[in-house]
Amino acid sequence: MMQMYFYFSDKVVLLFDFWNVRTPAGMVLSVLVVLLLAMLYEAIKISKTKLLRQTILAIPTTLSQESLREPETGSVNSNLGQQNTTSKRWFLYHISQSLLHVAQVVIGYLVMLVVMSYNTWIFLGVIVGSTLGYYLAYPVFTSR
Amino acid sequence: MSSYHANHTMNSSMASTSEHYHPTSEHHHPTTSSGHNHGEGMMTMDMTFHFSYKNVPLLFYGLVINTPGEMAGAFVAVFFLAMFYEGLKIARESLLRKSQVSIRYNSMPVPGPNGTTLMETHKTVGQQMLSFPHLLQTVLHIIQVVVSYFLMLIFMTYNAYLCIAVAAGAGTGYFLFSWKKAVVVDITEHCH
Repeated sequence: MMQMYFYFSDKVVLLFDFWNVRTPAGMVLSVLVVLLLAMLYEAIKISKTKLLRQTILAIPTTLSQESLREPETGSVNSNLGQQNTTSKRWFLYHISQSLLHVAQVVIGYLVMLVVMSYNTWIFLGVIVGSTLGYYLAYPVFTSR
Repeated sequence: MSSYHANHTMNSSMASTSEHYHPTSEHHHPTTSSGHNHGEGMMTMDMTFHFSYKNVPLLFYGLVINTPGEMAGAFVAVFFLAMFYEGLKIARESLLRKSQVSIRYNSMPVPGPNGTTLMETHKTVGQQMLSFPHLLQTVLHIIQVVVSYFLMLIFMTYNAYLCIAVAAGAGTGYFLFSWKKAVVVDITEHCH
C-alpha cells in the first residue's frame, strides 16, 4: 500500500514489478542504482549545455568563412558542400540534443517516482547521487 | 466493477491490497459497499509500471479511461500537452531574451567630471514589475507550472502508455521548437 510519509525500511517496490526489494543487500543495491540514476540525470543536464556550446563554437567559424569567401565568386561548389556539411552537422547535433532531452525527461520522472516511494534510504540515495552528479559532472564535462 | 479486479490481478504487487478491496463495489457509490475502507472518490494507486487501458483515472473526477479508443485519445492529448509544454518553455525563454535585448541597448553617454563622456549602461536584467513583458511572463509562468504539474501527475499514474506519450511529446516538442531557439542563441552569441 502506498505510504504517505517517510519511513526507514529495507522493503520497497520501485517502478517495476520485478524491482521488488526485500533484503538489506537488495536495498543497498537499489540505493546504488538510484544514486547512479540521479548522477546520470545531472550528467545529461550538463552535457546538453556542453553540447550546445561546442556546436555553437564549431559552426559560426564555418559560417563566417562562408561569408568571407562569398565575394570571391568561383568556389560555389565547395561553398555549397560546406553549407551542406554544416547543416548536416547541425541536424545531427539537433537529433542528439533531442534524444538527450527525452532521456533527461524520462530519468527525471523516474527519479521523481522513486522518491515518491517515501523510502528514506532511497531518498537519501537520490540526494547524494544528485549532489555527486552535479559536483563531478560539471568539472568533467567542462574540462574536456 | 469487474475491471477493477482485472486491473489488480495483473499486478502482483497489489495483491495484498486487493484482498481487502471489494471487487464488486462501484467507485461512484462508495456507500453501497460495506467492506470499503478507502475514502470517497479515492482510487487505489498502482505503484509499478503497467500497460492497461481499463479504468485509468486521468487527472479529473469524471475522466476515466475504459476503452482502447479512449486510451488512444488520451495518448494523443497527453502527447500534445507535453509538446505544448516544451514549446511554452522555449517561447518564454526567447521572449525573455527579446525583452532583455531591448533593455541592453539602454546605455547612454553621460558627461564625466573632467569633460570626458562616460558610457552609462543600465544593466537591469530584472525588468520593471508593472511592464507588459513581465506580466506576460508571469501569466505564461502560471500556465507552465500548471501544465508541468499535470504532466507529472499523468506520469504518476504509472500507466506505461501515458508515460510514453509524455516522453514522446517532450521529445517531439523539443525537436520542433528548439530548432528556432538554437538559431536565436546562435545569432545573439554572434553579435559579441
